Amino acid sequence: MVLLYLLEKEFKQFFRDPGLPKMAIAFPVLMMLVFPFAVSMEIRNVDLVVVDSNRSVASSKLVESCTASGYFNLVEVCDDPARAMQLMDRNKADAILTIESDFDRCLERGEALPVGVKVNTINGTKGSIGAGYLTSCIQRYYAENAPTQPTTAAAGPQLDVSSKYYFNTYLDYKKFMVPALIVIAITMLTGFFPALNIVSEKERGTIEQINVTPVNRGAFILCKLIPYWLVAFFVLTACLLIARWVFGYTCAGSVGLMYFFTAGNILVTAGMGLLISNYSDNAQQAMFVTWFFMMVFMLVSGIFTPIASMPGWAQAITYLNPMRYYADAMRGIYIKGSSLADVWTDAAGLLTIGAAMVSWAILSYKKTN
Amino acid sequence: MNENTDIIIVEQLTKKFGNFTAVDHISFRVHRGEIFGFLGANGAGKTTAMKILCGLSLPTSGGGTVNGYDLCREQEKIKRHIGYMSQKFSLYADLKVWENIRLFGGIYGLSGKRIRQKSDEMLRYLNMTDLRDELVGDLPLGWKQKLAFSIALIHEPAIVFLDEPTGGVDPETRRLFWDLICETAEAGTTIFVTTHYMDEAEYCDRVSIMVDGVIADLDTPAALKQRHQAADMDAVFRKLAYQAKRE
Repeated sequence: MVLLYLLEKEFKQFFRDPGLPKMAIAFPVLMMLVFPFAVSMEIRNVDLVVVDSNRSVASSKLVESCTASGYFNLVEVCDDPARAMQLMDRNKADAILTIESDFDRCLERGEALPVGVKVNTINGTKGSIGAGYLTSCIQRYYAENAPTQPTTAAAGPQLDVSSKYYFNTYLDYKKFMVPALIVIAITMLTGFFPALNIVSEKERGTIEQINVTPVNRGAFILCKLIPYWLVAFFVLTACLLIARWVFGYTCAGSVGLMYFFTAGNILVTAGMGLLISNYSDNAQQAMFVTWFFMMVFMLVSGIFTPIASMPGWAQAITYLNPMRYYADAMRGIYIKGSSLADVWTDAAGLLTIGAAMVSWAILSYKKTN
Repeated sequence: MNENTDIIIVEQLTKKFGNFTAVDHISFRVHRGEIFGFLGANGAGKTTAMKILCGLSLPTSGGGTVNGYDLCREQEKIKRHIGYMSQKFSLYADLKVWENIRLFGGIYGLSGKRIRQKSDEMLRYLNMTDLRDELVGDLPLGWKQKLAFSIALIHEPAIVFLDEPTGGVDPETRRLFWDLICETAEAGTTIFVTTHYMDEAEYCDRVSIMVDGVIADLDTPAALKQRHQAADMDAVFRKLAYQAKRE
């Protein structure tokens, strides 16, 4: 069988390459060990400046209760609002808490507290979440320290909402990111490797020697795909084991289903890599184009930002993004324990795009032109 | 029009790239079993014409047959019956000597047993038995060229195309390489070779010289020298190639 000879060649070349096998090992390990900490979206370390014009026991207790929450770094307590503004201008402060001089009196009387919150919203998420923390700190402080029945709250019924979190009970961001990082690691490796593989055959001239033989082009392309299937399974296995040993996470659903989706994803990424290399003359070109598509795929995949909060047109584009289906399915299976019945639309989307990519890759690879 | 005596029959073969006519209505025949020298200055259209004959490229117009198969419709059948060795060295440098032989043997559909037998024969013939476990990338250029030539013959093709096979090798290796070519031709394989070395043209049974996309002349070296009143092929080539108008 021609297929076996070609496969033997691809595997030997892969393992003899000075860089590829090492990269296949180092990449997932680094991704899994470094990124869950680095890409955390939890807001901590909000730099806080307090303008305390009251300087009372009550006001310093408020400052203490804010810093005790663990979300703030107290930069400075000053008297001059202009000084605080200056700090914010110099990017030393993310939030300013202003306490007016009649703070302790208002507190005793149970009146509205004369405090002001100013937030630096250059980073909108950090700003608004920081402001939220700060207000909830002040509310909690008020509830604990104001006279038993605050007069202002007398009007209207009291609502007590209790929330219960499902699937990721402690809102652990790392757990949310682990399946997404698996998606990124696999997509990157299996997108770049095949693209570089065919282009390097072009650059060395060996592809001409293959083109002048009667080898079937489908077999040739298929043999370029299969090794990356195994690379992807290796990466997935490594990532799942690291998640288990280092973070103590396990897959809530079927691990087999994760392998199934990974296999589908290879059709897409490797197919795309081969496709790009068919249209590229050298490695730089192939790298750049692959990089461009990977970036776009990643940014609109729902990995970092929820698709549901994108504008309508952007949401429509995500349906063409294979990574959307893969990431959605992998997160669903890993965190919620989704079954194939729950994520069959993802499977359909992924396989459709994958089949299109591979067919296009085979058709655009011309032995005669 | 006899396909038994002529392995390549080409009529009015033309290849255009945009406005540029690389190969301009050429017609010629190559007889079975001969060494056919395909000469021409750089850019005369040799490589383009050769690529069409190997089924790597489609002609813009005109056509012909190689070993009885049509150039426009049966490229994959042509590929079964030809060998090809390009000026750019094209074995896999990161595979060992025996692995390259095995790969191409496998691609041409030889059985595992036949491949083993063939590679033993080939390595013995080339005096490379000790090098079978070397990576091809580590071999000197002359050895690589000889190996590439032998691998191009692994499926016993009717004709083998050599695109500047001796480019960049020393004179002694060049002579040994031509011994190899002559032995192969004697065994009945047609040789279609391009070269820039005019002493090599003397080894050919017949020689064609391409100038500006057309065949300026085609005959045996002796007849060409007589017709152009030249002492050697080098002088013939200079006379013809200097008629070139395009860069």
